[in-house]
Amino acid sequence: MDKLIDIASRAVADYGFRQAVLYGAADIARKWELSEEEAALLSGPVLAELSALPIPVQPADVPAEQARVSDVIRGLASK
Amino acid sequence: MTGRLEDKVAIVTGGASGIGRAICQRFAGEGAKVVVADRNIAGAEETLALMGATPDDASLVEVNISDSLQVERMVNDAVKQFGRLDILINGAAILIRTPDLVDVDEVLWDLTMETNVKGVFLCCKYAIPAMTANGGGSIVNISSMSGVRGVGYSVPYAVSKAGVIHLTTVAASQYTSQGVRINCIAPGGVDTPQMRGSTASAEAFAGRNEGHPMGRVGTADEIANLVLWLASDEASYVSGSTYIIDGGAWAGAR
Repeated sequence: MDKLIDIASRAVADYGFRQAVLYGAADIARKWELSEEEAALLSGPVLAELSALPIPVQPADVPAEQARVSDVIRGLASK
Repeated sequence: MTGRLEDKVAIVTGGASGIGRAICQRFAGEGAKVVVADRNIAGAEETLALMGATPDDASLVEVNISDSLQVERMVNDAVKQFGRLDILINGAAILIRTPDLVDVDEVLWDLTMETNVKGVFLCCKYAIPAMTANGGGSIVNISSMSGVRGVGYSVPYAVSKAGVIHLTTVAASQYTSQGVRINCIAPGGVDTPQMRGSTASAEAFAGRNEGHPMGRVGTADEIANLVLWLASDEASYVSGSTYIIDGGAWAGAR
């Protein structure tokens, strides 16, 4: 899940990358060579988390948001 | 003045927000039939609603502009629905911040180039034959001041936007004689969702206004005004040009 967490963390910090993920998740999954499980998480619950983020994410809030989204991913992966 | 694009058919990529949305609205107000093209369908639907267009005047297409089959279908469907294609606005792009060049991830480089350069290439590739088949047309490519200056917050974005400028020059050299005018604009800072989303805070956004010769960044409507002129027959002798539109910021920087 490291690659998926990296993608999500980058998307939290960078609005432009977030847009690329939100509207091109399949491309992102292909380019980052995600597993089927990772790709499914990205296009489902992870997108939901990313689309709910404030615009912009304040710099001071980025680490906490990244940690929260990473926890969501780890929790889903362990199911 | 209204009706400057009466009976013209336009495809606007990136029409779901920001500059692309403003262009769609402006074009619709001037009588064009507009195809709003984007990957963001919810945003494109909002644009359609803001345009107040009927299905006879506008349509929406979900398209990944880096996919040739999807681009070809977009152009064919526009011609099928509206009978012709007169105008193409290449507004879709992505801006991903990167560190300095040696630390840029190759995958981010590829992702940016696929959308920002290959996407414009493919849209031109399929739109130009549709235009020449009908006597000509007008293409306006949306570059950026990042493609003119050495702006460092995204290496691939800056290089891709420089590529759009040169693609414009090359394409104009090849197709102006066939009736297709191809131009480019290079906006500076513009108040768009992209800019607000990429700016860390309201204070930081306000800071972008300070120090600007006009005391503010541009609006999407101001950019749309230039695009409208270039797309219209009023610019009938203009091709192969790139217009900086930044409120004098570049002039001041020199």
